[in-house]
Amino acid sequence: MKQENIRNFCIIAHIDHGKSTLADRILEKTGAISKRELKSQMLDSMDIERERGITIKLNAVQLAYQHEKDEYFFHLIDTPGHVDFSYEVSRSLAACEGALLVVDAAQGVEAQTLANLYLALDNHLTVIPVVNKIDLPNADLPKVTEELENIGFDKEDIIFTSAKTGEGIDSLLEAIIKKIPAPTGDVRKPLKALIFDSLFDAYRGVIISIRVMEGEVKVGDIIRMMETGATYDVVGLSIDTPKEKAISSLKAGEVGYLSASIKSISDVEVGDTITLDSNPAKEALPGYQPMKPMVYCGLYPIESSKFEDLREALEKLKLNDASLTFEPETSKALGFGFRCGFLGLLHMEIIEERIEREFSIDLIATSPSVVYEVVLTDGSKVMVDSPTKMPKREVVSKTLEPYVKTSIFTPSDYIGPIMELCQDKRGTFLNMEYLDQTRVTIHYELPLSEIVYDFFDKLKSYTKGYASFDYEVIGYKESNLVKMDILLNGEVVDALSVIVHKDFAYQRGKIVVEKLKEIIPRQMFEVPIQAAIGTHVIARTDIKALRKNVLAKCYGGDVSRKKKLLEKQKEGKKRMKRIGSVEVPQEAFLSILSTSEK
Amino acid sequence: MVKNCYVHIPFCKQICSYCDFCKVFYDTGYVSSYLNSLEQEIKKNYKGEVLDTLYIGGGTPSSLSLAELERLFSILSVFKRSSSCEVTIEANFDSITKEKLNLFQLFGVNRISFGLETTHQWILDKMGRQLDLDDVVNTISYCKEIGLSNINVDLMYAFPGETVEEVVEDVSFIQSLDIPHISTYSLILEEHTKLYLDKVPSILEEEDAKMYEVICSELSNFCHYEISNFAKDGYFSSHNLCYWRNREYYGFGLGASGYLDDVRYSNTRSMTHYLQGNVRYEEEKLGLRDKMEYEVILNLRTKWGISKSQFFSCYHKSLNEVYDYSSLVKDGYLKEDEDFLFIPEEYWYLSNEVIVRLLEEEVV
Repeated sequence: MKQENIRNFCIIAHIDHGKSTLADRILEKTGAISKRELKSQMLDSMDIERERGITIKLNAVQLAYQHEKDEYFFHLIDTPGHVDFSYEVSRSLAACEGALLVVDAAQGVEAQTLANLYLALDNHLTVIPVVNKIDLPNADLPKVTEELENIGFDKEDIIFTSAKTGEGIDSLLEAIIKKIPAPTGDVRKPLKALIFDSLFDAYRGVIISIRVMEGEVKVGDIIRMMETGATYDVVGLSIDTPKEKAISSLKAGEVGYLSASIKSISDVEVGDTITLDSNPAKEALPGYQPMKPMVYCGLYPIESSKFEDLREALEKLKLNDASLTFEPETSKALGFGFRCGFLGLLHMEIIEERIEREFSIDLIATSPSVVYEVVLTDGSKVMVDSPTKMPKREVVSKTLEPYVKTSIFTPSDYIGPIMELCQDKRGTFLNMEYLDQTRVTIHYELPLSEIVYDFFDKLKSYTKGYASFDYEVIGYKESNLVKMDILLNGEVVDALSVIVHKDFAYQRGKIVVEKLKEIIPRQMFEVPIQAAIGTHVIARTDIKALRKNVLAKCYGGDVSRKKKLLEKQKEGKKRMKRIGSVEVPQEAFLSILSTSEK
Repeated sequence: MVKNCYVHIPFCKQICSYCDFCKVFYDTGYVSSYLNSLEQEIKKNYKGEVLDTLYIGGGTPSSLSLAELERLFSILSVFKRSSSCEVTIEANFDSITKEKLNLFQLFGVNRISFGLETTHQWILDKMGRQLDLDDVVNTISYCKEIGLSNINVDLMYAFPGETVEEVVEDVSFIQSLDIPHISTYSLILEEHTKLYLDKVPSILEEEDAKMYEVICSELSNFCHYEISNFAKDGYFSSHNLCYWRNREYYGFGLGASGYLDDVRYSNTRSMTHYLQGNVRYEEEKLGLRDKMEYEVILNLRTKWGISKSQFFSCYHKSLNEVYDYSSLVKDGYLKEDEDFLFIPEEYWYLSNEVIVRLLEEEVV
């Protein structure tokens, strides 16, 4: 493989702009896969990815492409599109020289189009703008072209494609060859390979995705991880075409997978540099800082015996998801579990779902919390990522919470509703810019905790799905925060406590107790539900006592049917957690999130 | 040794709007073929045991004509009966006649169970039932006259729109009949019934529970021996008790269920299949755990509850080795004396909840 014939690139886009479909079409065009083999969205291999239509984990594929008598090798690295995963986007970018920026021909430039573009430019990548879905009846090419020109592209550089019909794919492949530079690393220098992903395979141990920057790695070499110092024999090297193909070496500029019988998950850190033990490089690659988790929640197994299984599941998931953090935590109500940190709410949901599906562990997730900063009366600072860690009010001198700056892209018709939403969420208006005659970007400062709840869903419903948004964390600001407890049958349920702004506590308390009343089934006795700040009760409602749960008379001795009914009831109870003497279903722990009636 | 037997007669002159039990419209042609198939099923399976109870249920057995009833009884005469054998037949007031009652008696029927359900015309209309209260009074007095005094009447409550006062009126009417056994049950809106399909909303849980409470207190002169059953002393239904005591029983006929040699089975509900001789629909082979679960589920429906000594002699394990019920006793949901573990009457209407909790306390 000649280095000058290699092109390493990724595809970046706003969610739903057709990134994965475009990748499929490129695979098909380069003959990596026949049309018949093509499952829709080939690169998304996890069930959840295909079902949700989003790409969660990255994937690297090598494609051979014949162009004007030369054979080129494309390394296509797929990236996630959702705002929660911008960290993973930056990981993929570090392994590339170029990026295809995909924009939907009907939707135009959206919030994450810009966010991803800036990330790519920060990484010094060559960006090719691609307007996709030109087959759509409502495609508006002049408008999208104008928008792309407004964000700094030349009209001539824009490629128009339809991943659905295949139109424009050939020009796109040609542009990749002509515009994206070949990698440049020196094969004769000591090995420097960037770990940009890893996953756990039950048979082969940890498998690492690498981009070789300098030097060469061969099967049989002894490698060293520059950060952790661990050394291993290289057992196998391979590339994905997208069928796995074993190879004997990887040279500067190439992308592939490395396996070395690595059983200890903690030896591998994404972002670390691999070098040769015998001839090590002097300095590691710059790598990148793992992004700090923004949202925390407690994850508890419903069956307490599954605690160790849950630990194992989290360890395996962390392997290719460096941004996931966890540490053991105990709850009076829920027993032993883990306090887990996530990049955002979607990230959290996906991890929960993967644990339940791939590891078959039923979970209770407590309500998500951001990290608060609490200054105590003695002047010391405490970071609080869980309501249970909130210091007593008497020793608190002030509380601060993280704020973000949001960019909301919207047709101008929805400016009113969006401003109303942002005000409700304690937002401060910064400014507003017109993108063209009908579209604007609105900038607000908002507390991160408000975004964690239901901001995204609300934004979508307020704007009929037309608005998109992105945010960056801008730091901490003082805020009047209190811990609100929920009492069931007179006892505080620690897993239901939440930190809220004092001015909104009364309203939130009322909504939460009502919601819990709907979710918690009637018990053998009346159960009061209260919301309280300290000892002061701010809202209360009661779950009426169960009055009837009985099987009526038995017709002709058909008692099997009764037993089946009781078994069904027993199954139902398994999904609940007994707290004190009250049985609480899983959903109750997230009900605390509801911020509006119904 | 099986000592109990249920025989199902699935024919009805009218289909009630709430009924999801196995029944078909009465049709002379079908009846004779049905009785032939029934005879085959009995001949093939009955092993000659002496029966303590025989229960002819439905459907509406009394909807058959005199000749058909004669044919039925001749088929059933194959069963050996003990001297005190309880023979029950179900009947409706609008299809019963003196001749039929005489014939019942001739066969040896010594207990009769009438479906009354309600005395209120508007509810009867919605149920699709017919009833003349004078007929009720006359029929009951004729039964007593010929010595057929072991009588049960079924009462249904919690019909959508029904009031507690109407239930009280029903109970007083039944009391006035001076009979020794009453079965009551609250309406369940079952799928595949007319009421369900008409999307009739069910009554509030509180109302339903209130009606049950009122019925229990109105019937305080009876012994409340099972969740849905009330009887004067000496008139407990032996056949129904065989179900609650987890005993074996034959079940013959369309849709019937039985329990023999550790197998709980139910027959097909398809008349076509039944007439073709494809009788059995499903069988559940019981393991030890299943049997113990049935023992608990069924016995706890009665006021006596479950006998710990009997449990031990059956399963060679003590009840509290299998289910750790100590916390349920502590909370008062179960009570125990020297031999019995039972649900106190105030929790009968929540018995599913109590039983499920008990089953959850299974010691592995």
